[in-house]
Amino acid sequence: MASEQKKRIPFKEGLYTLPSEGREGYLIGSGCRSCGESFYPKRVVCANCYSEDQEEIALSKRGSIFTYTIARVTYPGTPVTAPFVTAQVQLPEKVQVLSLVTDIDLNDVKIGAEVDLYFWKTGEDADGNEVMAYAFRPVRP
Amino acid sequence: MQKEVVILGVGVTSFARVSGRSLTDMAREAGMKALKEAGVDFRDIQVGFCSHCNQPLGTGMECFAQLGMTGIPVTNVEVACASQTRGVILAADLIAAGVYDMALVIGVEKMPRGMVPAGDINEMPYHFRLGIMPMPGAYAMQCQRHMYLYGSKPEYFAKAAEKAHRNGSLNPNATYRDVYSLEQIMNARMIADPITMLMCSANCDGATATVICSKEKAKKYTNQPIRLMGWAGGNPMYVKGHEEGLAEGPTEFLGKKVYEMSGLGPEDVDVAQVHDAFSPGEIFALEELGFCLHGEGARFVWEGNTEIGGKIPVNTDGGLVSCGHPIGATGGRMIAELSWQLRGMAGPRQVPGKPRVAMIQNQGLGGTNVMMLAI
Repeated sequence: MASEQKKRIPFKEGLYTLPSEGREGYLIGSGCRSCGESFYPKRVVCANCYSEDQEEIALSKRGSIFTYTIARVTYPGTPVTAPFVTAQVQLPEKVQVLSLVTDIDLNDVKIGAEVDLYFWKTGEDADGNEVMAYAFRPVRP
Repeated sequence: MQKEVVILGVGVTSFARVSGRSLTDMAREAGMKALKEAGVDFRDIQVGFCSHCNQPLGTGMECFAQLGMTGIPVTNVEVACASQTRGVILAADLIAAGVYDMALVIGVEKMPRGMVPAGDINEMPYHFRLGIMPMPGAYAMQCQRHMYLYGSKPEYFAKAAEKAHRNGSLNPNATYRDVYSLEQIMNARMIADPITMLMCSANCDGATATVICSKEKAKKYTNQPIRLMGWAGGNPMYVKGHEEGLAEGPTEFLGKKVYEMSGLGPEDVDVAQVHDAFSPGEIFALEELGFCLHGEGARFVWEGNTEIGGKIPVNTDGGLVSCGHPIGATGGRMIAELSWQLRGMAGPRQVPGKPRVAMIQNQGLGGTNVMMLAI
């Protein structure tokens, strides 16, 4: 009996495209064709000029920590385990992304540090699909 | 020509964790206290607002029915932690416009233990659902940015909590009345660096009420009306390139509107209540309202300027940190404390030198209200 292929699915739809077939994953932003402003998450109506003429854009994978905190608690039933670093990551498109930051010493988090986007498995759903979320981690040399 | 608006009476129940009391019981108590302080019969109230965030459909109608059933319109108002002050602003707008001349605004809430639940998890933003943004997280990130830009120290933020607990120990309605040393606050369980447990407001139960009316009508009831000199409510504003930084709401913008409307400035304010759901909130609000320059708020608090007897006493009743936070009722507690301060009724918490001008900033998930009061 052929077992069904396990799929990788996003933790929440519409925010990012997962890596597949050799292509890198990315955060889905929007760019306003009218005024040039960028947004994450993507918007239908531009918050700057109110135009509906928006295009989806693949946001840069490298950003820097604008600010952060070390969360020592979290809500029950969520896939993260405290303590962890949570940060506003500034991307070159002038958008900020609130994100988990991993692979970093809690005593060594610094504003301005460069970080790269990656995707991690939060768990599996009832069908055995891998549920994927995003995070940033320090740039690897 | 807009009519002048005044606060005639205020009422507050004791705030408590998991009180066991019903919503309607608490709302009736706060409402009756406000009506009695105002010297007003419920039959004179022409319009009602009821603010709450976490309660069943029709809560406002049920609560007002405990006070009387005169057929007046009662509307529920939800702006997260800023709900009750928004109710007062809506009533003030109606009175100023001459639609009504007497209103009652009730805030009431029963809160479960633990961190604030925010409804259906599938409708929540990604970061809440993933669990990466516990409630103090936004304030903690503002602190980290403040420390990075201005060299503020964690103890500066803790100082606001030390003062809040000390003031709250003088407030019989506060949930937490213990006094803590700066060291105890700094060494308490860390929640989101640099915010510890003793710098957080706790969910609790409680109700508050405010009777407001036209200045003209108030003459019949009191010779000590609290004049509403200016008020403005708003939501976050988009600034090109997200250059606004981390401010939760448009406090700075609304503060300027209120200064313009009232003809008063920060230098005129004798006592203030600002939103300290987490104690660093006091610091950010002071900067945004112009009591000190951006970057100087933490040191301003550290040096004791916001103590009772200081340059600008802030959160004289213990603020959210000591009083606790019945979300939809918190704004009414702020109004009540300032009303009592201006009338010289604040007992052991009374600001010396007969304060004449008071300011409020109340915010919740970006919704923000600012008001100026005077006697």
